[in-house]
Amino acid sequence: MKFLVLVVENIRRNIVRTTLTSLGTMMLVLVVTLVFTVLTSLDKVTTEKSSNIKAIVTEKWQNPSMMPISYAAGLSAGAADPTDPKAVHPQDSMTWGFFVGSTESDPTKRGFENLFFSFIMDPEKARTMFDNIDVLTDDQARVLIDGIKKMKETRNGAIIGEGRLAKLKKRIGDRITVYGRNYKDINLELEIVGTFPKEVSQYSDSSMIRRDFLETELDTYKASHNNKPHAMAEKSLSLVWLRVPDRPSFDKLTEQILTSPSFTNPAVKCETSSTAISSFLDAFRDIIWGVRWLLAPACMLVLSLVISNAISISVRERRTEFAVLKVLGFLPWQILTLVLAEAILIGTLSGLVSAGLAYGIINGVWGGLPFPIAFFPKFAVPINSLWWGAAMGATTAFVGSFFPAWSARSVRVSDVFAKVA
Amino acid sequence: MSATDACVEVHDVHKSFSRGSEVLDVLNGLNLVVRQGEFVALMGPSGSGKTTLLNLIAGLDQPTVGSVQVQGIEISKMSEGQLAAWRTRNIGFVFQFYHLLPVLTAFRNVELPLLLLPLSSAQRRQQVTTALDIVGLSDRMWHRPGQLSGGQQQRVGIARAIVTDPTLIVADEPTGDLDAKSADEILNLLVELKNTLNKTIVMVTHDPRAAERADRVVHLDKGRLATQAPKH
Repeated sequence: MKFLVLVVENIRRNIVRTTLTSLGTMMLVLVVTLVFTVLTSLDKVTTEKSSNIKAIVTEKWQNPSMMPISYAAGLSAGAADPTDPKAVHPQDSMTWGFFVGSTESDPTKRGFENLFFSFIMDPEKARTMFDNIDVLTDDQARVLIDGIKKMKETRNGAIIGEGRLAKLKKRIGDRITVYGRNYKDINLELEIVGTFPKEVSQYSDSSMIRRDFLETELDTYKASHNNKPHAMAEKSLSLVWLRVPDRPSFDKLTEQILTSPSFTNPAVKCETSSTAISSFLDAFRDIIWGVRWLLAPACMLVLSLVISNAISISVRERRTEFAVLKVLGFLPWQILTLVLAEAILIGTLSGLVSAGLAYGIINGVWGGLPFPIAFFPKFAVPINSLWWGAAMGATTAFVGSFFPAWSARSVRVSDVFAKVA
Repeated sequence: MSATDACVEVHDVHKSFSRGSEVLDVLNGLNLVVRQGEFVALMGPSGSGKTTLLNLIAGLDQPTVGSVQVQGIEISKMSEGQLAAWRTRNIGFVFQFYHLLPVLTAFRNVELPLLLLPLSSAQRRQQVTTALDIVGLSDRMWHRPGQLSGGQQQRVGIARAIVTDPTLIVADEPTGDLDAKSADEILNLLVELKNTLNKTIVMVTHDPRAAERADRVVHLDKGRLATQAPKH
């Protein structure tokens, strides 16, 4: 402790250099904190659960999955054999189709700003089956509950997330026309009746329309095209969500679905949402690998070099001082420790401040780190990042300052004062 | 002079330095005895080995051949660690260019050697205050070196040298960077330390006026003792 004043005063010696080193450390710790936040969040969502499992049934051999709507009823029931008393029946279910279009009629002006992405589904299921909405209280989900109620009364009603409403410059009560992209020549006249709860960010850019409304539109198309059905008419079911209480139930459910003769053409597969997300992330496997094993270590290497550079300059400037300390009786290891302590103090404090700011601003102000792939929610910076940041700063400072510190400990008194002889 | 009177005994000391393939003999069989409480000035031309001898006496370097004893302790055989610990307690070093740490106040600079000793904060404060009082800088203890004149900085350097109450003070041209008035004050202070606290002082100097203040002037030439001149 009694050496702390010496360490602190040496850090204050060159405020500009210390500040620049700290800022460099903070920037790089921030990058690594964000990387770790994404990676740990992905690890979390791909970790298999042992209870309250959501199973996903999709087409086996084709991505994107496009199953016939005739599969919906049987799959929603878990393909349970009515004569089998041991058959597993899902606790809840939800079917999804996807309608992608634009509010812009001119194809040349279509872009992200006027994009319309919507789930085709039974609106009531949004409250009980949507990830993270299913855990909200009724008060928290009030805006959605009210929207669902209005959707039941309005066949062409749509619930649209706040982010998308802002981009479309629309609000609840407005009407919009959506020009279909995957449902070519299907244009929907929709009335915005509600939005998703603010508490759940992952649906902010998404929408929800009624399946029976789309079916009617497909029928209308067929009638106006010489009884020729729309190309998507028999492909409008993308996936089916099934909730089961535990792993054995999931295994049994999977067996029921995969052995059922009703779902063989096209064949389907059944997996947990964690497995499905893992499969989905397989497409990004190389990027994730690179981020985990190249970007993060590269940041830490650069961080070490930044600290090494600053401490090296400082040591070169202070060779005479180290010699004086040796004359006064300081041992080489004490000088090594003093230099390491300066670097580690800067690294630890900068890392802690950086992680603290990331935690406070990203979680507190932004509500999480946006990760606009699939329907991932905003990723919260984990509380653990506070010690990650500090530890990262300390470790890289230790590594970066070790050789300069070794150089300081090796200063020879007679060499430094030789000019006096 | 009896052996018990001797504070420093340098016996047949040789010191060589290697520069590439060339070996430079700086000290050649030098003998010297400094009595307890004696103020000795080392003089000689550049390269005569004054500072090398001072470094050997202060335990900053080891002789190639020969022995150096300080207060009866053979320091020429000590390890680097043993020498460092020994220096803290037994040697006060005064530099020509003061070599104070610019980021520390006078108080903290003087306190530095005490950080290596098992002393409480209160004990350290007491010793530092006493040392600064002796050199007449009690009122400047919270000033940094940059806020002090050259003479004042050297006085802080002397306070740092005496704060552990060492027997031997070695000074390498302590007045070499000072004007005449400040130099005189520093020499007065060294004499006072010798007279009132019975410190043994070995001082390297080029300045005959500074050497005059010593009890004895030792001249070195080509690594050997040239003459020893007792002043009084």
